Amino acid sequence: MADCCCSKDKKTILLYACSGGANVAEAADLAVREMMFAGDGSMFCLAGIGAGIDGMRQTARDADINLVIDGCPVDCATKVFDKAGIDNYAYLRVTDLGIEKTKGVRCTKEQVAAIVAKAREVLADKLKGCCS
Amino acid sequence: MKLQILGTGCPKCRKLAENAEAAAKAAGVEYTIEKVTDLNAIMAMGVIMTPALVVDGQVKAVGKVPDVESIRKMLA
Repeated sequence: MADCCCSKDKKTILLYACSGGANVAEAADLAVREMMFAGDGSMFCLAGIGAGIDGMRQTARDADINLVIDGCPVDCATKVFDKAGIDNYAYLRVTDLGIEKTKGVRCTKEQVAAIVAKAREVLADKLKGCCS
Repeated sequence: MKLQILGTGCPKCRKLAENAEAAAKAAGVEYTIEKVTDLNAIMAMGVIMTPALVVDGQVKAVGKVPDVESIRKMLA
C-alpha cells in the first residue's frame, strides 16, 4: 500500500532481507516481516532492487533509512545495493549474531527474536544519527 | 517531455506538480503533465511512497517534494 506523504512526518524506514535458502536467510526474512507488522518500518522488495525496477531503486534512494539484513557472509543483499549504486543503507548479518548457517533446518523463534532486537538497535542508532 | 505526478492529491502532491511545472518552464522544455492518483498504477511503477515524480517514464523522486531548481536539474 502506498503511504500518503501527508499522513505522518516520521522517517521512511525500509527493511530488506536476503530471503535466501538457508536457515539464517529464513530467520532474516521472518525478522523483517515481524518488524514490519510491529510498525518498525516497511518491508521492501530486494528482488525489485536487484532487477533494476526504476521506481523501486529510486524509492530506496529517497528513503531515510534502508536496513538490509543478510543471512551469511556471502552478503548477497548488500551486494545488490552496492551494484545498484545505492549507498544509504544500514547493515546487519545474521551469522554475526552467533547463529550458524545450515541448510535443511528451520530457524527458531529465539533466533528471529535475536535478529529483531539487534535490528532495532541498528535502527535506533541510525535514527539518532539522523536527528542529531 | 512527459511529467507524471504520482499521488492521491494531497497538498504535497499538488506542490510537487507546481514545482515540476515551474521547473519545466524554467528549463524551456515542452512538456505535458499527468497526475496519477490510482494506487495500483503507482505501485506498478515500484513506488510505495508519494508524492513521486516521473520524467519520461523514469522515476526521479519518491516521497518528497524537491524544489524547482532540483527538478530543473532532473529535466536536463
